[in-house]
Amino acid sequence: MTAAPSTAPYARTAPPPGSAVARVVGATKVHGVGDTAVTALDDVTVAFPAGRFTAIMGPSGSGKSTLLHCVAGLDALTSGEAYIGDTPLSRLSDTQLTLLRRERIGFVFQAFNLVPTLTVRENVTLALDLAGARPDRDWLDTVIGTVGLGDRLHHRPAELSGGQQQRVAVARALASRPQIVFADEPTGNLDSRSGGEILGFMRRAVDELGQTVVMVTHDPLATAWTDAAVFLADGRVVDALDDPTPELVLDRVRTLGG
Amino acid sequence: MRRIALNGLWAHKRRLAGTFLSVFLGVAFLAGTLMLGDTLQRNFERLFGEVTAGTDAVVRSTTRIDDDAGPGQRAPIPASTLARVRAVDGVAAAEPSIEGRGTLIGADGRAVGRDGPPKLAGNWIADPRLNPYRLAEGRAPRTGDEVVVNRGAADDGGLRVGDEATVRTPEPVRVRIVGIATFGSSSGVGATTFTAFSTAGAARHVMKRPDAISSVVVRGEPGLSQAELVARLRPALGSGIEAIAGDRLAAERVDDIDQTFLDGLRTVLVAFAGLALLVGAFTIHNTFAIVAAQRARESALLRAVGATRRQVLGAALTETALLAAVASLAGLVGGIAIASALKAMFDAFGFALPAGGLEVSATSALIAVAAGVVVTLLAGLAPALAASRVPPLAALRDAALEGEEGGASVRQRRSLTALARGARAGGARAGGARAGRSRRRRPLTALVRGATALIAAPLPRLRGTVGTLARRNAIRSPRRTARAASALVVGVTVVTAITVVGFSLQRSLDDSAARSFDGDLAVTGGEFEDASLPPALARELAALPQVATAVGLGSGSARVDGRNGVYANADAAALSRLVDLDLRAGSLDALGRGALAVSADEAEQRGWRVGSPVAVVYPDGARATLRVGAVYGEEGIAGDVLLPRAAWERHAPQSADRTIFVSLAPGVGEAAGKAAVERVAERWGAPETQTRQEYVDAAGDGVRMVLSIVYVLLALAVVIALLGIANTLALATHERTRELGLLRAVGQTRGQLRATVRWEAVVIALLGTTGGIVLGLPIAFLLTRLGDAVGIETFAVPVAQLAIVLVVGGLAGVLAGVRPARRAARLDVLRAIAAE
Ligand SMILES: Nc1ncnc2c1ncn2[C@@H]1O[C@H](COP(=O)(O)OP(=O)(O)OP(=O)(O)O)[C@@H](O)[C@H]1O
Ligand SMILES: [Mg+2]
Repeated sequence: MTAAPSTAPYARTAPPPGSAVARVVGATKVHGVGDTAVTALDDVTVAFPAGRFTAIMGPSGSGKSTLLHCVAGLDALTSGEAYIGDTPLSRLSDTQLTLLRRERIGFVFQAFNLVPTLTVRENVTLALDLAGARPDRDWLDTVIGTVGLGDRLHHRPAELSGGQQQRVAVARALASRPQIVFADEPTGNLDSRSGGEILGFMRRAVDELGQTVVMVTHDPLATAWTDAAVFLADGRVVDALDDPTPELVLDRVRTLGG
Repeated sequence: MRRIALNGLWAHKRRLAGTFLSVFLGVAFLAGTLMLGDTLQRNFERLFGEVTAGTDAVVRSTTRIDDDAGPGQRAPIPASTLARVRAVDGVAAAEPSIEGRGTLIGADGRAVGRDGPPKLAGNWIADPRLNPYRLAEGRAPRTGDEVVVNRGAADDGGLRVGDEATVRTPEPVRVRIVGIATFGSSSGVGATTFTAFSTAGAARHVMKRPDAISSVVVRGEPGLSQAELVARLRPALGSGIEAIAGDRLAAERVDDIDQTFLDGLRTVLVAFAGLALLVGAFTIHNTFAIVAAQRARESALLRAVGATRRQVLGAALTETALLAAVASLAGLVGGIAIASALKAMFDAFGFALPAGGLEVSATSALIAVAAGVVVTLLAGLAPALAASRVPPLAALRDAALEGEEGGASVRQRRSLTALARGARAGGARAGGARAGRSRRRRPLTALVRGATALIAAPLPRLRGTVGTLARRNAIRSPRRTARAASALVVGVTVVTAITVVGFSLQRSLDDSAARSFDGDLAVTGGEFEDASLPPALARELAALPQVATAVGLGSGSARVDGRNGVYANADAAALSRLVDLDLRAGSLDALGRGALAVSADEAEQRGWRVGSPVAVVYPDGARATLRVGAVYGEEGIAGDVLLPRAAWERHAPQSADRTIFVSLAPGVGEAAGKAAVERVAERWGAPETQTRQEYVDAAGDGVRMVLSIVYVLLALAVVIALLGIANTLALATHERTRELGLLRAVGQTRGQLRATVRWEAVVIALLGTTGGIVLGLPIAFLLTRLGDAVGIETFAVPVAQLAIVLVVGGLAGVLAGVRPARRAARLDVLRAIAAE
């Protein structure tokens, strides 16, 4: 693993700390219609400030994934608005949303993050390749170094362990230097050690590379790595914590019944 | 288990749509062609029944001299027979009938029906009840230069009542068209043209003698049965003359049509329908195999819950059988549409087929449905067996959907299995898991993988990531890719074999013409070399100062050594001066009237040598025994038998040349010579004059035409093959839902996703096309070796045509990819990443 170089050049490209990279205003999302309609998000307003690592917590079915999908332009809100930077997403076409995702957003899912036919390196540069953009070599080296995959670049995903696969996913999410990275239970399938590694990398991405990360998690311990935690229940934001500690979070989770 | 089968069918209806469609198309085409055959047969029967309804008996010669490919041509009978027939008690009316050949020249100066149908001429039978033709316009011919022509010929030649025209019988006769006739209710017999003179005119121009006629058509007194009439006629007839009943005449004519047209048509169409079904079988097999793989987990679950292997197999087979039955029955219905379309197509090409509704015989329906069901069941058997062999334990594992042989996306969790396999491989190769995989890789799989990789090699450079993804997707499951391409391989193999054999034949004919023809010009009667040029034309050309020699090569029906056929005739000595016949034995110079020449092949087959006696029956019924005077090697121009012109002319009233070979006088240029020849030919109905090169090039034209028809018929097989590719891709897309969703989430645009699927389709299609070409070439080579008998001497590979086949194959891939690509692009990203 190579030592991470100075963060200075990258920090400059990020929005000023504190301003919201992504936010939703009055976001409501109803799945289905009529009798089967489910309100997954109910008038949610929340902002994810630049240069910070935010956790979204809440019981199963509380709307965490839905929130993430909507703010990342994968799903459309029923009412309200989602913004990436100052761009309102509801006005964008499918192609515009796709381009926005590939240029400005990074993703890490719980599993199946990698295209099985592509090598590790090709997976990491996927979004850039799709855009026909030349990867910034220094940045790429930095990212790959950060997640420690230098010796695995020409392997196929199937030849990696689950934890290694998630690291590739994190590298992929960072490779295009997105304005924000969304991660939906990225450690959900991992043991605590591998999970800790992933969280550590995301933390470093925020601290050293100046990235902004939003992560859905069920694990109160995971919030120890984050700068803030937002609590959802029944599609509403019910609480928020700055600099959460596992004890505090566990406490909240208990009271919320998650 | 039946419920499971039914549910399975319903649940996978989308995936089975491709299978349904290929069974449907194959059966529909088969049923359609069979029905077309039924319909034509029925309609011809009806038509001939109708036109001979008023004819109770026919009196004619017992000597038949036509080959199978001609209308019932017989030796003539004395004209005096007519009077004897009329004198028979019970004969209400009797009319002479004269039948022969006559080429009608259309308003454009070209022969009507030049593409090959028989061109007949004869007399207009005065008694409308005995005449199969009916006047539709104008009146019957009265004088020797008035004619009635059939509607089809008139339309084709742009001729109307009152027009002047030329009929070559083969001497050009200026005539005036006074009437237009229909054959029963049809505008003609197929595309056959018919020109009717008055009886006197026909005797002069067609029979060329007043004392002979072709037959007598007879109507009996009312109440007299046909059998009775025939019985009464018989004693009145001389030897070699027979009387047959009218209904037998109709049956004979139907048989004639069957033999000359319907049987061939049916055989060809059914062969292509069979090919379509065969190609369909590959598509079906492929789909079932994929569906079975996708349901491996379900099958395993059933087994785990307690279903026996037989029950699982039963469910799979029931499902297959149901699909087979439904699709085949639907195909039967589709066949009706195809039969109608084919019939309309024939009509559009000017084949006047008799009118009448579609005829569906039970046999045809049964054959089509049975073929569809059997083929589908056979194709589905192996996948069903595979499904029943899934171990119950598989339910607990991730089912490897794409069966990634040689690829590496087997999930890590299963590395244990892989390691175990590697250990079994015997440690011959290091690196456990990899050795395990490569052991499983069969040579064919490796070949397909290599070929696919090679074909797709330029993709990443051409199309970047999209190209890389398409290429890797095509390689990831070689067995599936091979299966997807297999249907196209079969189709293209046939296309290649036919193209190469056809090209070789064409080349052989061209070569043979080039090798043997030493003259400068050739005058031909038409594209199919009908013998329609009057012998006088050759004589007149020979008299031109620009011409050194002009020799006619004639042909006509005769019986040689007991076999009816169309045989060539010429003045062999003169012919051998312009055409190198490659003399092997004897001499061509002095055949006279008593000797004929035969090809070396024919001599060998019949055990003839110079001096052997050969029995010949001429068109006028005369019998003679000729000697073999010469044996030649070059059969490209003269065929197997060359009869002496001197004898032929005396015994064939309509002796005609099909080609006149011309050599120019010294110092006369080709252009000047051609102009001089054309000026003369102009007065003889303007047959085509070709330079040596044109003649050589045209030698293979017939083959070219046949090939283009064959391609049209092959198109169906290729369409079915494409369905197979489309189907595979649709199914693969379904399996790769999660992966596609990920790509979309990460930033692949719909267009890029579509392109990925499309390029994969192109790769598979190119693989199939290349495979077909590679397989087709050796098959074609073998066929050309076997085809020596039909005159294929060279094996020539048409590089340009095969390149076109390859390009078309690639384009077809684009087409096959359209639908799966569109479906993949419509995929809901969220659904995909949320998919279990
Ligand atoms: N496509 C859909 N159709 C209908 N309802 C849906 C759909 N997706 C989510 N829901 C519902 O919306 C609500 C919120 O779902 P969401 O997936 O956002 O929850 P979550 O907080 O991510 O839960 P988990 O922690 O289990 O992942 C749930 O009640 C869920 O059933
Ligand atoms: Mg969720």
